[in-house]
Amino acid sequence: MEYMGIEPGRIHFSWISSAEATKFVDVVNEVTSTVKALGPRKSFVKTPLTTAKNKAA
Amino acid sequence: MNVIKIDKKTWTEGIGRLQGFYRLIGPVKDGDFYQFKALEKGESPDFSMLNTRLSPKSIIYPQSEVMFEYSLDETRDDCHVIKEIQVEYSPQVVFGIRPCDAKAFLLVQRNFETPEYKDPYWIRLYETTALIGLACNTPCSTCFCVDAGSGPFNDAGLDILLIDAGEYYYARVNTAKGEKILKDSGWSEETETKDAELAIENLKQAAENRITARISTDRLKEKGVPDLFNAPFWEDVAFACINCGTCTYVCPTCWCFDIQDEVRGTDGVRMRNWDSCMYPLFTLHGSGHNPRDAKTKRLRQRFMHKLKYYVDKYNDGIQCVGCGRCINLCPVNIDIRKICEAMNGFEPEQKSI
Amino acid sequence: MLSYNEKIRHIAKKILAEGKVEIVIGYRRGTLPMINEPCFIKHPEDVTRLIWDRHCGINLTNYLTQRKERIGIIAKGCDSRNIITHIIENKIKREQLVIIGVPCKGMIDRHKIASQFEEEIQKVKEDGDKIVVTGGGIEKIWKLSDVLQENCIICTHRNPVIYDELVAEPVAEQKDVNRYEDIRRIERLSPAEKAEFFDDLLASCIRCYACRNVCPLCYCDTCFVDGSQPQWVGKSQDPTDIRTFHFLRAFHCAGRCTDCGSCERACPMGIKVRTLTKKLEKDCLELFNWEAGIDLEQRPPLTTYNPNDPDDTFR
Ligand code: SF4
Ligand code: SF4
Ligand code: SF4
Ligand code: SF4
Repeated sequence: MEYMGIEPGRIHFSWISSAEATKFVDVVNEVTSTVKALGPRKSFVKTPLTTAKNKAA
Repeated sequence: MNVIKIDKKTWTEGIGRLQGFYRLIGPVKDGDFYQFKALEKGESPDFSMLNTRLSPKSIIYPQSEVMFEYSLDETRDDCHVIKEIQVEYSPQVVFGIRPCDAKAFLLVQRNFETPEYKDPYWIRLYETTALIGLACNTPCSTCFCVDAGSGPFNDAGLDILLIDAGEYYYARVNTAKGEKILKDSGWSEETETKDAELAIENLKQAAENRITARISTDRLKEKGVPDLFNAPFWEDVAFACINCGTCTYVCPTCWCFDIQDEVRGTDGVRMRNWDSCMYPLFTLHGSGHNPRDAKTKRLRQRFMHKLKYYVDKYNDGIQCVGCGRCINLCPVNIDIRKICEAMNGFEPEQKSI
Repeated sequence: MLSYNEKIRHIAKKILAEGKVEIVIGYRRGTLPMINEPCFIKHPEDVTRLIWDRHCGINLTNYLTQRKERIGIIAKGCDSRNIITHIIENKIKREQLVIIGVPCKGMIDRHKIASQFEEEIQKVKEDGDKIVVTGGGIEKIWKLSDVLQENCIICTHRNPVIYDELVAEPVAEQKDVNRYEDIRRIERLSPAEKAEFFDDLLASCIRCYACRNVCPLCYCDTCFVDGSQPQWVGKSQDPTDIRTFHFLRAFHCAGRCTDCGSCERACPMGIKVRTLTKKLEKDCLELFNWEAGIDLEQRPPLTTYNPNDPDDTFR
């Protein structure tokens, strides 16, 4: 994922048992804060569908 | 049919002047190959190409084209109402289209503009586009346009045909649209004499003599559809095919499309995308049944359509202009010339080749 | 490698005549320079049609998928590795196959030559370690090693890893190959530069799917890009959808791709699609010490769990 140009920090993996409530909270907080810090994605975003696309190639 | 002479020294000047009236499109080198692109201000079409890798069909028939839009927002009055999109069609001029590719538009027109059905999208773009061809002085070894009913100097479908004669171009004007463009360009209005016609004829002969790729189509019509359909050679010729659809996408005369909806939030569009008879989904029915469930059947369909059904239906040659793109770009060397020979020469009792 | 022809025909004839196989899958001469056509032979007397030269870059394993008969197949190093992957994935049975192994010295890159030759190419001839290209009244000569397919230049498995017959003595394997230089270069880019790099790489894609269809790994009945219930990815020429297709396809090849180069060879637009699959191939080697299609007995990394598997991405 990083290879294709998605910033590190935008994707997180974690293994949290149903008994680990505090870990869950920590992870969610961390995920949201790192992703917020990165801001909205600039690339790999599908542009809204518009009629402008219809201009011939 | 007037012929005028354009001094190459005045060429760019005229192109510049035309920029003021039209959107110009022409071949430009893009990486390893040539493509038709909109020309920027000050840019001239690059005529050093043999031909563009992709055919110019996308200029009039884009690979993806939005047709309708709608809203799923229930608070709006026009919720769920499918509306045709509004596109501005400003007049455009395509430079340097090869005669085979121009003729291809006439073939495609058979599909998009019939007495019963008129495709508004294709027709609008076709009508606002002028085609200025470039005759082929040096056809490629895979060009079989002459046998496919076109030719390196063929005017069919062209508003103007340009002929490169060294220091200058001859321009053969075929339509009123073409005359108007010449006027707007300010190149020259002097009609050439018989000499010009003769010079063009000589160049044409030279070009046609260089064509080495030949096909025979004379007996396609007399063959029986079931005979050809059940011919044993299909298994052999289709073996290598990977059903990629490259041949249909690069072909100037392939016209099939698929309709898709795409929604983002509450905004939706209905668009069409090129499709290909080489794809299994092309004929997959809602029931799950697929009449062309094997690649051999799909390959057979492509060639039967081009070289038999079309021939029978319109009685005006094959649905191919001999541009050679499918031969050059097929990853596994499926060659329409070979298949056409097999079909044209097929005798029902013949054993597998 | 031209000298292999006689041996290939001899073996093909033998196994057909003895009834060991019903068909032999190989190549016949193409109608254009630098391309041959995959074909099958049913009758021993037709084996003279089979040819072998440096233009046999398409991976023939692709033609085995789910076939029912007994088959003889000509396999260079990479094809043989894909045959192993096919057997592991139950796409063909070992017992059905007679593998005619071809020690390979590399295939010619048709895109590379075409992009460096201004005229139409009419003839391509091999002459020792040179390659002579003529057309449009000009002639150009390259060193063979300069115009091989990229994957062949860095290949470390030129000899078939599985075979029943071998047409010649094994060739020397290339040592100390720097396989991943290009991938490392991309890895060093910033996220924005990477995104831009892939935008450029895939800009001319026409979504013909030749890269997918030519690949022996891509045999799913309905590919995720084709499915519409649910629709995983848009079908138009939208650049994001095009990239989604390419990235996801590469993921699906992880641990299976042998870097045979068929995909790159097949692309009508000359897009270097291996740039994606090779990254995953590199990761499999570095993380799991795994190379696809070497051993019939070993399970691929994505189908096994090992407590020692790296798990740095998890926290
Ligand atoms: S004929 Fe060639 S280009 Fe066409 S679908 Fe088959 S393999 Fe692809
Ligand atoms: S079938 Fe092939 S040669 Fe004929 S017009 Fe189409 S791409 Fe050109
Ligand atoms: S992804 Fe490309 S290189 Fe890898 S096995 Fe498939 S065709 Fe070969
Ligand atoms: S073969 Fe090339 S053009 Fe076709 S889908 Fe693959 S990358 Fe795109």
